[in-house]
Amino acid sequence: MSDRSSKLLRIGGASLAAIGLVLVLLSPVIGEPISPGSLWWIEPVAYVGAGVFFLGAIASFVSIQLASRREKHGADDRSWSQVTQDYFDTFAHDMGRPLRRILGKQREVRALLNETGETTPRMVTELLDEIEQQAPNFRLMIENVRVLVDLEDEYAQPAVEPVDAAAVILNIADRYLPIARERGLDLVWWCEPGEFGLVYTDASALDHVVTNLVDNATKFADGQIEIRLTRNDAHFLVRVWDDGPGIAESHLVHVFDRGWTPELSARREKQSSGLGLFIASSLSERCGGDLLVESRQSTGDEANDHHTAFTLSLPLDNRPAAAK
Amino acid sequence: MTSKGVGNGQKILVVDDEHMSDLMRSVLRRLESDGFRPIVVAPEGPHVSGDDYEAQALFAMEDERPAAVLLDVRFGEYDTDRFKGLSILKKIVDRDSSMPVLMFTQYTHGPYRDTAVMASLNVSSSVDFIDKLASPEEVVLRLRRLIGSAPETIKIGSLFEIDAQNAAVYAIDNGRRDLIREIQGMKLEILNELAAAFFRSEGELVPFSRLERFSEGEDSRASLRVRIRELKVALGNAVSREFGATELIINVRNRGYRLVQPVD
Repeated sequence: MSDRSSKLLRIGGASLAAIGLVLVLLSPVIGEPISPGSLWWIEPVAYVGAGVFFLGAIASFVSIQLASRREKHGADDRSWSQVTQDYFDTFAHDMGRPLRRILGKQREVRALLNETGETTPRMVTELLDEIEQQAPNFRLMIENVRVLVDLEDEYAQPAVEPVDAAAVILNIADRYLPIARERGLDLVWWCEPGEFGLVYTDASALDHVVTNLVDNATKFADGQIEIRLTRNDAHFLVRVWDDGPGIAESHLVHVFDRGWTPELSARREKQSSGLGLFIASSLSERCGGDLLVESRQSTGDEANDHHTAFTLSLPLDNRPAAAK
Repeated sequence: MTSKGVGNGQKILVVDDEHMSDLMRSVLRRLESDGFRPIVVAPEGPHVSGDDYEAQALFAMEDERPAAVLLDVRFGEYDTDRFKGLSILKKIVDRDSSMPVLMFTQYTHGPYRDTAVMASLNVSSSVDFIDKLASPEEVVLRLRRLIGSAPETIKIGSLFEIDAQNAAVYAIDNGRRDLIREIQGMKLEILNELAAAFFRSEGELVPFSRLERFSEGEDSRASLRVRIRELKVALGNAVSREFGATELIINVRNRGYRLVQPVD
């Protein structure tokens, strides 16, 4: 039973009980004019009133019991979710340990090669770049699993706070600029208006959704990636555009499905868990917004403007009405 | 791309018990090559705990007066030190609420942790979080932005220097600065706007909407195009070069303009 129907049952029950009580109390007043001097009409009204009262009282009792059970169950669920998150943190930390060592050694090798003053063979640099690129992959993978655990918790609410949306986008651009450069891609971002101001949203969710979209774009773009932040009266929009080969129209409806991978479409084959876009879409919805995709597939013709663009739209102010 | 010397010798206090690890060494190297002076907190003794780091970090705060602090969350192997970094953070912010602190964490930072930490801090404190797996370049970019002070002059590669406060653009030739007199008024405003975005982030472009206020006439886009061309010619003349369409100031797919570092 939903929260809403439980509340309706409680209000309905209480109203019935009140009507019943009023009927019992007023039974002499109602019954007297109908059969003066006799109890003939007073008693039935009182009986009906009493019946209505008991019905209402039972409905109220049941709804209160349900609400209290739900609250207890909810509290258990929340603590379970917290425990899961704590375990997950430890797991992520320990799993990251060998990766941090590998990454550290790789950077040390790079520094040592630089110190020799000789030109490092391109093949070696490419191998080192390949190792370095596993770091953002790992970061996103761990974060995706954490969000997936969080999404399973039906009682979890977005943590709405004042957020400098332009700063969030800027940080993501910083993270992906070196990766884009290594892959020979030009990544640009901008916001309009320049002084974007604060929005009330879940900063972690915004960061996570856009990170997934930009990560996706760096995998498929041919040469260009654009991130644009704009706003209208009620929403702010983040559009992540890439000039990749595009997605077939028949596949577009499936891109947000859990487990959908680009290997299923005409796009280039790359590593993918099929979780990123599913999570991005689910998180967007939980934050009161939506995520849309628009794409034009490559036809082999040079003039063909093939691209894929994801647009995230979130409310400018997602605080509950009472907090505004 | 951060150019050399951007740190201007500013001190960065590094509080991390893994400061000797390869990963941290790569960050320290990057800080140095970008002109920062990392001051590493390294307590000595057979059993160093998080408390030792805390005491020494607070002492160094007073003694060294760093421009920012790079702080780890987890210290040592003692379970009580699991979130020692958060308690050090609280003490740093209590002493100097404006101190920029970049939390270097190995944890995924979910909404619970961020909100809990941010809620315990003063609203004016400038604290940010970064994953320990971030590239050294990303760490320096984030740190630089957290410190927030834009430099007096912005260098565009090794060829130009823009001094926004004194409204002047210089061409650099063997360490000598020559004022480029032709760049004034609206052209200078446009260049300042482009240079500010260039300094903030390599990938940031300035959309037409923000530049068109520095142009006049009915067709403001065309007028802007003319000014940009004049700007490129003036900059090119100053260093005896000709900058093509894909050099120095580029039109990004008709969205706006962006400064790119000139190739020496």
